[in-house]
Amino acid sequence: MKEIEQPSRNNLEGLKGWLNPSRYGWERISYWFQRLTGVFLLIYFIGHVYETSTIVNGQNAWESFLELTQTVWGHLFLILVIGACTFHSANGIRLIFTHSGIGLGTPGRPDYPYSPSSLNYRQKSGIWIALILAAAAMYYGFNILFGE
Amino acid sequence: MESHSILKESQIMKIHYVTGIAAIFVVAVHILMRLIVPFELSLEYDYIISNYKNIFYVLILESILVLVSVHGFNGIRIILLELRQNKAWENMTTIVTISAMIALIAYGTRTIILVNGL
Repeated sequence: MKEIEQPSRNNLEGLKGWLNPSRYGWERISYWFQRLTGVFLLIYFIGHVYETSTIVNGQNAWESFLELTQTVWGHLFLILVIGACTFHSANGIRLIFTHSGIGLGTPGRPDYPYSPSSLNYRQKSGIWIALILAAAAMYYGFNILFGE
Repeated sequence: MESHSILKESQIMKIHYVTGIAAIFVVAVHILMRLIVPFELSLEYDYIISNYKNIFYVLILESILVLVSVHGFNGIRIILLELRQNKAWENMTTIVTISAMIALIAYGTRTIILVNGL
């Protein structure tokens, strides 16, 4: 098969365009959050795997590393992780449904103001549910970490 | 030039979704293990070591390691492919993400095996 010729990249915005949450509404913000929380959670996961590996060096190594994370800032960071994890999971499930065609609605005649039928209330409420669940999980995490 | 990908992107997306859904369940078990006892106690050295001696929990930890690594690094690959598309970039992205995924799984597995033997 003949390889497609690569076009000039002058028309691409690159990372700046990717990070721009405007122009596309709530769905774009959801897309943006899904990727940002995903990258954030992977960085946390790598750090967590490294953090837990200190237990191999014995009790002193474990406890001294734990002291670094069991602080107010450490707990606030964990609360952010809880929120990111909950949003990423709930919004990810919505995306799986969407990719399977569930919740997209049926195609209709494009009438003014030309709102796409795929971006319907089911999709929008899915994004809101993910945000509300993330806030609830963060509140629960706050009570566990700061409530004692 | 012929494409030599082992898997189609649609198959990789299915793996991405399956690993994501499975990760939700195993991470939930992992978090529950921290919540069935007071949080401070759950982080104590002896409690953690006893967790690593429990074969059921070890399997959960290894599952988390594999599922989250595959899902996470494939997610990074997808983001990088959204930013730029050409054969060299695609190959480089695939090689780097798979190598990082294998390295992280190997490092985490090493911890599990060593702590299990303590």
